Amino acid sequence: MTTGTSSLIVSGLDRHRLRDIATGSVTSIAVALVIVVVVGLSAIGPDFLSASNITIIGSFVAIPMLVAAFAGFALLAGVVDLSIGSMLGLSSNVCAWLMVAGWPLWAAIPVALVACLICGAINATAVVIFGADTIAATLGMLVALRGITFIISGSVGMIPAFDPNFFAFINLTAGPLPVIFLISLALIALAAIIVMRTRIGRHVQAVGGDDRAASRAGISVTGVRFVALLLSALGAGIGGVLYVGQLGSASNYTGTGLEFQVYAAMMIGGYSILRGGVGNPLGAALGLLVVAGTSNIIDVKAISPYLTNAIIGLLLLAAVLLDRLRGGDAFE
Amino acid sequence: MTDVATTTPETTLSRGAAFRANLPAGWGTAAVVAGAWVLLIIVSGIHRADFLSHQTVLAISFTMAIVGVLAVAQALVGISGGILDLSQPTGLIMSAAIVAWLLERNVPTAVVVVAGILVGAVWGFANATIVVVAKLNPIIVTLATNFIGGAVMFLVYQNAQAPLNSSFSAFGRGYFLGLPNIWWPMVILILVVGYFLPRTRYGRHMIAVGGNRFAAQTRGISLKKTRFAVFSIAGAITGGAGVLFACSNGPFAPTAGATFQLPVIASVILAGCSLAGGRGSIWLILLSVGFLSTVPTSLVFFGLNSNWQQVFQGMILIVAVSIDGWRARRLLK
Amino acid sequence: MKMTVRRQLATIAPAVLALALAGVATQPAFAFKLGMAVGGEAASNWQKPQGDVAHAIATKMGWDYVELSNNLDPAVATKNADIFIQDKVDAVIQFNGRAEVNPVLAAKYAAAHIPVVTYDIAQKGFYFVGIDNLAAGIAGGEALGKIAKDKWNCDVDLVLSSEGAGAGIVNEWRTGGMRTGLQHICPDIPKDKYVSFEGSGQVSVAAPAARDVLAAHPDAKKILVVGLNDAGVLGAVQAAEQLGRADDIIAWGQDGAFITGDNVDPHLAGSVLYFLEGYAVYAIKDVIGPIAEGKAPPMKDDAGDPASRVKPCPVSAEQAKKIPGIEERVKQLLAAPAGTTEYDLFCPKS
Repeated sequence: MTTGTSSLIVSGLDRHRLRDIATGSVTSIAVALVIVVVVGLSAIGPDFLSASNITIIGSFVAIPMLVAAFAGFALLAGVVDLSIGSMLGLSSNVCAWLMVAGWPLWAAIPVALVACLICGAINATAVVIFGADTIAATLGMLVALRGITFIISGSVGMIPAFDPNFFAFINLTAGPLPVIFLISLALIALAAIIVMRTRIGRHVQAVGGDDRAASRAGISVTGVRFVALLLSALGAGIGGVLYVGQLGSASNYTGTGLEFQVYAAMMIGGYSILRGGVGNPLGAALGLLVVAGTSNIIDVKAISPYLTNAIIGLLLLAAVLLDRLRGGDAFE
Repeated sequence: MTDVATTTPETTLSRGAAFRANLPAGWGTAAVVAGAWVLLIIVSGIHRADFLSHQTVLAISFTMAIVGVLAVAQALVGISGGILDLSQPTGLIMSAAIVAWLLERNVPTAVVVVAGILVGAVWGFANATIVVVAKLNPIIVTLATNFIGGAVMFLVYQNAQAPLNSSFSAFGRGYFLGLPNIWWPMVILILVVGYFLPRTRYGRHMIAVGGNRFAAQTRGISLKKTRFAVFSIAGAITGGAGVLFACSNGPFAPTAGATFQLPVIASVILAGCSLAGGRGSIWLILLSVGFLSTVPTSLVFFGLNSNWQQVFQGMILIVAVSIDGWRARRLLK
Repeated sequence: MKMTVRRQLATIAPAVLALALAGVATQPAFAFKLGMAVGGEAASNWQKPQGDVAHAIATKMGWDYVELSNNLDPAVATKNADIFIQDKVDAVIQFNGRAEVNPVLAAKYAAAHIPVVTYDIAQKGFYFVGIDNLAAGIAGGEALGKIAKDKWNCDVDLVLSSEGAGAGIVNEWRTGGMRTGLQHICPDIPKDKYVSFEGSGQVSVAAPAARDVLAAHPDAKKILVVGLNDAGVLGAVQAAEQLGRADDIIAWGQDGAFITGDNVDPHLAGSVLYFLEGYAVYAIKDVIGPIAEGKAPPMKDDAGDPASRVKPCPVSAEQAKKIPGIEERVKQLLAAPAGTTEYDLFCPKS
């Protein structure tokens, strides 16, 4: 196969796919968000979209959104990284530990990021070089890193590390929108542009969609997936550091359940954790907003907090069902 | 549209590969897990001679019992192509809670045991219904139902316990032939299910569906019926685990099942059950659960605290699946 | 496809506008509004009743009451604070199990001038209502020590500590405090006989961990158990029963979750009841009530000098037989005259 033919095939395939993504699941999740806004407005009134409420939702969603922007590449490439929560915990505890030991922020943060990148490299080696099943391998990393985080956070289980400048930065707002939310949104937009418009993005989708075809077309499946897992780790690392700023501390709990929060939202937004090649960072952002918006309605209306989990579970089912009915891939 | 890639090995297998290909399925994994287990026991025994004692055997076998039963259910789901059943913690505790509730009302023990198993089966059937009717991915469905079920249970009760002075609880504390009473049902289950899975028509259907569901459909196997059957049977087994859990545990909260999820998945993966479906041996679960249950005990004998257990268990999983992936790749070459 | 999107949005947009304009406007709140953030720890049986009791008392006082769950998650606790501030509540009661985020919460509430009552874990600037967990731990340890002295003259083979690292500083206070109390009575138990394991305050986690520890100490016969809570120590007791080593094991718990009722394990010698579900009585009587009347009490944010001290009630298993279970206790508490605490109602006077 000449490179000319293969690139024609790749671009032919992906033009169709681009149209699908832009008009498919992203649309339905956008509609879902509109529904959430409507429900919020009718249940709570115009206060639902008040400046302070938007700040609340924005602050809560900002860091998971950033993590999702990075982790989305791994999902697209067909290698789901379940360890992002534990990596985030590791990163925040390493950063907090160094801060307490007297390191300045600008020195502590890179160390935390490098720690995550090393774990990401281990994941990548196992999954890409050795061919380990990605769910199993990253699950193992999830467990191992949680243990290490417990060890770092010590017998009290937490490391208080309140830095007033960092805290002020995290809580900066531009109007009603927190600055970190805008930064995360910008990263999502950047990721979306990469996915939809650049050759790299097309390669990632090709690798996730059909790695054999991608390999025949000359794309380095190993390279793409390795980098994708490293990116996923980097995102978790950055998220962990930001949490130290937002929460003024790190603990053995930091990051627990984050993988569920992020991936459930991403599945609602059109990604699949079992199949690569589908999904759009915009869908991830919208998915996170749908879940956060729904939680906010539950919170502000003070509906029983014990029902929150049940409602999120129902939401997940509803979203995938909706996606299926709209014509998304069915499980047989 | 997924295209079913057909791989025909165009090269003849080398003598070594031919030899390996003719051995019973999963022998490689079995050898590795058994070897690792034996090595672990030897090393621990050298470090402290009193590791090789009846007390250690008891400690490990109590841990194995519930995990082993749950692993069988999980393996059935995985082998048949259902990928993962993430709703096991809820199924386990739901069944255990109903068992405790019935025993408090002096319902005869035999009836209670059957009820517990049935509750599990119903839970599995409910999950299957959503999967089949809505054609949704089992991972997502069971993830959601686990969340919903857990939240609902928390609204209903916060703590449950089987009556301490009942013969039921006495069974849970007792021994048979030097091993815990609850250990034996697990072993029997593994032996029976492992025997019948490849030898009955329905068992072979399950494996076929897991391996290649299009080919299975072409052969006339009903995917829907298989899904319902697998999830219901796995659910019944999980219900059985709930019965064992209720008789051997003190008070438990609705969240008590969560602690089993990762060890069960790890055991299933170590037993060679690929998440892609179609392969895996039930008998191997005995080895993988045994090995994984021994690790925490060994670590205590080595003086490492429990956080290290998590680190080791996680690393073992990564190493194991890396080896597994490596061998699968070499087989393809 | 584009057409469909436009059509969809076109039909929804007017609906959105209409609803926004119609605006289900919230009535201006003249009633005193109390916000409560429950801990959200799913494995304990007093979390939900803690909120229910606060709700009932607030309603009796004619206040508005809003409840959120911290879900044992620091990010959620932070978000809840933002929501209470946005909701302009007049006061907040919180149980925040993730104490590391308390400084951030304190900064937020201080900026919003909202007084906060915090249960059991002190934070500068929050009114402290609760027990002194350290004192409760020491009381439990001393009670256990007295039994060991009477029965075995302090000749103990093993002291198991069922830790719960997830509880953070509270674990240090309670479990560590119990060891300290034990040492008060039995100072000669050598250090190497004290062994800790991670039980996470749950039977299903503590039992396997304790089994391994007991197997690693096969010669230990006379065993004492302390820990974060009743569930944690029960796990160790259960482990001993499973390994056939329960002949001489004595455990003393904390929080009293499993010391009442028909199913009390015979090896649980006692526990320390805090009657956590009834904390709202203290909080409202001593802090929130006065605030609602415009007479805010002076700030007392230290566990040693609290705004309202909840007295721990150490009970032996024998004494606990006369104490009703949590549901019955809540019923009686709510039926009692305002200001009566569960300590008044239920703690054996001896």
